[in-house]
Amino acid sequence: MNPLPVTDTDLHAYADGQLDASRVAAVEAALTGDPALADRVADARRHNAALRDALDPWLAEPIPARLIAAASGPTDAATRQARHWLMPAVAAAATLLLGLAVGWYARDVDLERGGTPTTFTRQAALTHALYAGDANRPVEVWAPEEKRLVTWLSKRLGFPVNAPDLTSTGFALVGGRLVAGHQNPTAMFMYENADKQRLSLQVRKQPVEGGEVAFRYAVENGVGVFYWIEDNCSYALSGNLDRGQLLAVGRVVYGQLAALETAPRK
Amino acid sequence: MSGPADAPLPQPELLAAIPRLRRYARVLTGDVNRADDLVQDTLARAWEKRRLWTAGSDLRAWLFTIMHNVFVNQRALARRDQSQVSLDDGEGGEAWQIPVRDGQYTRVELAELVQHVGRLPVDQREVLLLAAVEELKYEEIALTLAIPLGTVMSRLSRARAKLRLAFADAPATMPLKVVK
Repeated sequence: MNPLPVTDTDLHAYADGQLDASRVAAVEAALTGDPALADRVADARRHNAALRDALDPWLAEPIPARLIAAASGPTDAATRQARHWLMPAVAAAATLLLGLAVGWYARDVDLERGGTPTTFTRQAALTHALYAGDANRPVEVWAPEEKRLVTWLSKRLGFPVNAPDLTSTGFALVGGRLVAGHQNPTAMFMYENADKQRLSLQVRKQPVEGGEVAFRYAVENGVGVFYWIEDNCSYALSGNLDRGQLLAVGRVVYGQLAALETAPRK
Repeated sequence: MSGPADAPLPQPELLAAIPRLRRYARVLTGDVNRADDLVQDTLARAWEKRRLWTAGSDLRAWLFTIMHNVFVNQRALARRDQSQVSLDDGEGGEAWQIPVRDGQYTRVELAELVQHVGRLPVDQREVLLLAAVEELKYEEIALTLAIPLGTVMSRLSRARAKLRLAFADAPATMPLKVVK
């Protein structure tokens, strides 16, 4: 038997498990005789395994709705452009956000003057951190049962609540749960994006009638909270996102809630 | 447009391919959002080009081919447009924040390894990923990327040599912010 000399390709193929069976013996003989070669192959194998170890968990991530839609059939231009919503490079959007942020800040000052309690933000941040950090059980009722979730929470809170659709911002509903509030129970909806970032929207009825619309941004224990009161309901959107991102999502939430008008009037 | 004569792509298989497409795209672009954009463009392109897919053939390999082409085209455009960030600049840190299981390597080492892969030139990165992670045969990689088998092997060789070097040199701390 006089096998061909072992080539670089043989070594890679051996490491990748795709070497022709007829060459395996020759390669293994070469590896035995040359520790440096053996070392190279061992490194290649370890790197392969490590890369798969590192990247396999990505496969288990939930698929964003827009990709499921894209897989379902030919897409038209309108749906494809929707994804650019969150891109910070879009100057117009950035300007708009800045304008809104300034507006919110001004209201923030009014809010402070009005003596509105700020504990809700802290509570929202703590609640968010507690549940968002829970890999296995962040919510009590999962998104597939959204209808049941919304019915249940509406009943417990005493007014109709809805889980806003945040797919345009890349966040999908994970589910929700009921959490204890200061005086009234609070509904929490959890969302997650493709990058596994989570944010939660907490809604509760104001214990006392405020009547005013207020916006506030706070960072509590490293969690960004975007907070407002409308129609006697307080809303808190919390997440480990930067301010711009959170405001962008907040804008979507606010827009949807305003459109729905589900909160109790009076 | 699409008449009934158009054989639609098999949706279950398309859906099943998405996680792998996303993963591949993420390592190509180094950015989660850009990666999903790339996947979306790839799926849209696949529907446009569905006549070119032979029913029964490997849909995943075909999708990788499309993604490669879309990516290459987009890079060419991005290079022309100076306002765009280069896809090769080793940025997009968020994409590399990988969920890591406990295994042979520590968390830091794994993250570092992925960082190093992210710094490989795109053509080497593609070959390495397809061989090491997607476990395609070299011949399939050559077809997917439309390059000769010899080129597949030389790129794989260079990619691995760089990883070995990087890993031998790098201290087990935070990834170095050195780009070539």
